[in-house]
Amino acid sequence: MRHSSTAGKGYRIGEVEKMTGLSADTLRYYEKIKLLVNVSRSAAGIRMYDDRDISRLRFIQRSKAMNFSLQEIARLLEMRDDPQHVRNEIRELTWQKLAQIETHIQTMQSLRNELTLLVNLCRSSEEGCPIIRQLNEE
Amino acid sequence: MSILLELFSAPGCRQCARALESLEAILADWPDTDIVWRQVNILEELDYTVACGVLATPAIAIDGKLVFTALPSAQKLRQTLQQHLRASQD
Repeated sequence: MRHSSTAGKGYRIGEVEKMTGLSADTLRYYEKIKLLVNVSRSAAGIRMYDDRDISRLRFIQRSKAMNFSLQEIARLLEMRDDPQHVRNEIRELTWQKLAQIETHIQTMQSLRNELTLLVNLCRSSEEGCPIIRQLNEE
Repeated sequence: MSILLELFSAPGCRQCARALESLEAILADWPDTDIVWRQVNILEELDYTVACGVLATPAIAIDGKLVFTALPSAQKLRQTLQQHLRASQD
């Protein structure tokens, strides 16, 4: 028996498209490959997604933004569903992905600092933007 | 033992020119053996500049650590240099 935090209220596929930006085809595909499981159906057989499904979809989107494969995301979802009883192999994968994210954050921070420096440099110069001038001279 | 002072500056940055003048005047009072210094053109050493945490110019680092993120007063700069020199001699 599946419990829904929406207390009976569900979202039709069109609503989920708007909420997540994912297409209906993608939502059906995720269900087919079991990234989404036990999606409820109304009496008329219409898919009704609940808050847990939406949360799961947002997790998938975040993971895809990190370029994780769907296969890897499926394993991470297993970890998400039952972190205390998951296989060692999945726990190890989660550690690996965490390390990747940490590296990614450091890379992004470095890029942010570099762009901040360049923007500040353009702003403080009274003789135009020295970066652009130097690039033009090269 | 000497300390390494680096002034991060960029072409066209008026405050950087002021910082350089101020720094040269202060460093004239110290023997070369105490303070080694160089001007870092951030456009030529962008990676190093970012690694030092510089987000705007002028900035001053001592021994690779950012100590001023704006042009300090001459007095403040002298004090800081004295502190670092004392620490390097301990």
